[in-house]
Amino acid sequence: MNRRRFLRQSGAALAAASIPGILRTRWPIDAPWLLVPMDDVQTEHLKAYGVAFRVLQRGGRGEWFLNYRGGSFLLPADQITARDAALAGVRVEPLDDDRLVRIRAEIQQGNMDAIPLEKAPRVAVYVPPNAPPWDDAVTMVLQYAGIDFQKVWDAEVLGRGGLAQCDWLHLHHEDFTGQYSKFYLTYSGAAWLADMVQRNTGMAKTLGFPSVPAEKRAVAQAIAAFVERGGFLFAMCTATETLDLALASEHVDIAASFADGTPMDPDASAKMDWSKALAFQNAQLELSPTLPSFSDIDGHQVNSPLRQPLGAFKLFNFSAKIDPVATMLVQNHRDVIPDFYGLTTSFTRRTLKPGVTVLADEAGAPWVKYIHGERGQGTWTFYGGHDPEDAQHQIGDPATDLSLFPHSPGYRLILNNVLFPAAKKKELKT
Amino acid sequence: MGNRERGTGNRMAKRPQRGRVLWGLLVCWFLLPIHGLRAQQDTLNRAMTLERRGDPTSALAIYQAILIDRPADINALLGAERCLGVLNRSIELIPAIQAAVSANPSSTVIDALAIRVWGIAEQADSIRRYAERWAQLAPQDESPYREWGGALQNMRDLVGARQAYLLGRERLHSPDALSPELAQLAIRSNDYPTALQEWLKAINRLPGYRPSAVRTLSQAPDAARPGLLRSLDLDQSPAARGLSIDLRARWGDPVGAFHRLLASLPPDSAESGDMLRNFLVTVRGINGSEARTAQAMTLEALADRRAGIDRARLHLEAAQVYAEAGDRKAARRMLTALSQDPDAAALQVGATTTLVSLLIADGEVDEAARRLEQIKGSLPVDDYQRMRRELAQGWIRAGALDKAQAVAQADSSVEGIALMGRLRLYRGDVAGARALLKDAGPYAGTRAEATGRSSLLALIQVLKGDSLPALGAALLALDRRDSTAAVKGFERIAEDQPAAGAAALRVLAGRVEAGRGHATEAERLFRAARVPEAPASAAEAELELGRLMISLNRFPEATEPLEHLIITYPESALVPEARRLLNVARGRVPRT
Repeated sequence: MNRRRFLRQSGAALAAASIPGILRTRWPIDAPWLLVPMDDVQTEHLKAYGVAFRVLQRGGRGEWFLNYRGGSFLLPADQITARDAALAGVRVEPLDDDRLVRIRAEIQQGNMDAIPLEKAPRVAVYVPPNAPPWDDAVTMVLQYAGIDFQKVWDAEVLGRGGLAQCDWLHLHHEDFTGQYSKFYLTYSGAAWLADMVQRNTGMAKTLGFPSVPAEKRAVAQAIAAFVERGGFLFAMCTATETLDLALASEHVDIAASFADGTPMDPDASAKMDWSKALAFQNAQLELSPTLPSFSDIDGHQVNSPLRQPLGAFKLFNFSAKIDPVATMLVQNHRDVIPDFYGLTTSFTRRTLKPGVTVLADEAGAPWVKYIHGERGQGTWTFYGGHDPEDAQHQIGDPATDLSLFPHSPGYRLILNNVLFPAAKKKELKT
Repeated sequence: MGNRERGTGNRMAKRPQRGRVLWGLLVCWFLLPIHGLRAQQDTLNRAMTLERRGDPTSALAIYQAILIDRPADINALLGAERCLGVLNRSIELIPAIQAAVSANPSSTVIDALAIRVWGIAEQADSIRRYAERWAQLAPQDESPYREWGGALQNMRDLVGARQAYLLGRERLHSPDALSPELAQLAIRSNDYPTALQEWLKAINRLPGYRPSAVRTLSQAPDAARPGLLRSLDLDQSPAARGLSIDLRARWGDPVGAFHRLLASLPPDSAESGDMLRNFLVTVRGINGSEARTAQAMTLEALADRRAGIDRARLHLEAAQVYAEAGDRKAARRMLTALSQDPDAAALQVGATTTLVSLLIADGEVDEAARRLEQIKGSLPVDDYQRMRRELAQGWIRAGALDKAQAVAQADSSVEGIALMGRLRLYRGDVAGARALLKDAGPYAGTRAEATGRSSLLALIQVLKGDSLPALGAALLALDRRDSTAAVKGFERIAEDQPAAGAAALRVLAGRVEAGRGHATEAERLFRAARVPEAPASAAEAELELGRLMISLNRFPEATEPLEHLIITYPESALVPEARRLLNVARGRVPRT
């Protein structure tokens, strides 16, 4: 046996024998309820969402105490839940009925509310096949929190039944204009790009579309229809901006010639039909095929000469009893969060449609970070940026290990979105 | 008379007065600029002092004031650039730069500054404008293209950067101009074949680029390496040969690289000495015993090209490095050469110390002891004691516990007490060992020694019985690297021990088996140690079991013991590590 290994392991053994543990919650717990505090005492903010989600998945019910101790959860104190929390390292506080009554009274008196959580949403992530699970913030955090999800891509979205099998859909940082994030010329020759081009052109051909931009527009329209029918849509990074560009460009060519064989219409900006878009209007499109930027929707323009430095964004404070949806989406133990780049980092105020709810912005800046709105029976939420814990994320960077960021406030915003469709429908007044 | 005198006197007095005035004016005319320069210098010094004190805002105000009077003052411009950079407001320098260019259109320093600032503003057109201006002012200079490309690289415009460099190369009519820049750009684009060709051009132009070339090319992915080496083999230039040798050394074949180097050494001893020294620098930066062997071989080759005390020193160093690499035969060969070298008298102590270590490693402990006594008077006391403990370790491995004890008894240091404790344990005197290991405490010696001592103490504290000769024999077998006997011994003793002791011994035996790659045996032992009566050992066993299953890619089987550990022993210090392994087993974090 390797001596060093022996010594190291024996040292750990000694520690095990002599050092007191860190977890104080003992179980089985003699209380009817478990409070999952989400303020600074929480030891695993991200996994706490997974614990709550799995309660619903097992057919149980819970409550989301909006604005109470960082947006805490009330869960039944059954053996499975207590065990699940212990395994995940999530701090829970046993709660008897008396204390629960006191908490409810406190909630009643302040800008707080208790929202019943009753059904685990069926979660789907729009992601290309073979994409590594560590390439997308939402996939990463769902995996980390232990929230089950299915993967869908173009064939599933445009296929029979479409997105009927899911309640909540996240869009991977896809380019719905079909221009491969406009990396086609800059990264020409890179193996990953060649793979992406081959996969997309193959799919467009299989589905009977003349080009990738045409096929992606059809996918965008199917996604908009999913929202219209009552689906919950969550998008990050460039999927936000390009989804709306694809929707608004129904009758105009906005794709460069490398994508569809014809150059972009030089008058495309004027010909866009913004009534089709979810969030944006009156944007000016970027005409250069070599510049990895789509329009002036993004305030930061990370890959262009107009690149803006990162600041910090602040979550808005909503009235929990009047605006429960917006309140749910901003539940956090931090109000101010460091910004992070993505192909689309932020959304310029000028291009937001009237009626869009701004959930977070950078004070004094001409852009916002996190927005929400409705379309038909459903809702959409857009969150700019790529990875909340890798502010400068670049192609080829190693994956973020979320066990190193268990309290990430930026990632919490994603998980708020996952749990928000679980809230009882009649409570969703906004 | 008086008046005249007075008048004369006045005239006489006026002459020097007028002269003084004239002189004064003249002096002022000369001194004013000097005074002005000194005042300017003082102002600049004041601004720089403020910068050093960490007050960039005040320093910036001074630089800006200077620039109002003298827009092209380079020192003030550079100072303002530094301050604005610290304040993250570099772009505010743009108006000052435009004014500076108007004031001094022929300054290339201002052009360089302009490119940097426009680069921060990410304005490619402006960068180009200033680079072109600079290129017109200095048509034979690579610098404008270098700065231009660099600014575009910072903007991640790799295509634009490459175009800038190639334009420079074309205009300068020099096929190897800007080759280091193009090489590094190719590396950024993962285009290693192009990088290699550019680096070769750069090295042919200036051999000093070789370390940079090696450092950057050595990052090439495994799949690209054979192709790069083939290209180098086809190119017979000295630059290609040198690069090939260094890259082979870094890519896992340092000994092969050394042999290639030896075959390509020129007859000129000075030149070959330089090549060997360069290679020595390369292999010293590589870890692993192969690299140590290559290092020792290079030292030996260098020694063969030297004479006198230099040769002896190199032979001694080669012996030491061969010993570190585990090539004891070669180490002895070096020491023999040293013993026959009349110039090596001054190095005898170092040579004997190395020889003693070699003899101990070869099991010739008596001979090692004899040699050590020969140099006792020349060694510092601490070094002598350390060597004596090394001897004791050698005797322990040889099974000569009495001799080892004689050494330990004469050593009153904490390490000596710890050694005595271990010897008592090897003899089965568990009670005596406990007392001595406690006396030695947890701090003496290296961290590894201290941890080993503490873990040994933790083990024997849970064992029942003050005298366990079988345990001593098993631990001695482990120290003598007889793992099979050690594991058998631990298992046998475990059968006679209560739950806590038995579990601790099984965990230890399991670790030995896992270390030997005997996964099945290790798994059996860890599972046997999972007993509720021995919570500390059971938690360890479960952690080890989880780790073992993960190493075998049996992820579902890893989760059960890890979950059990977390739930059953929530206060164990192993719980955070168990959660970490559970995340890996469930695929919730990327495997690192």
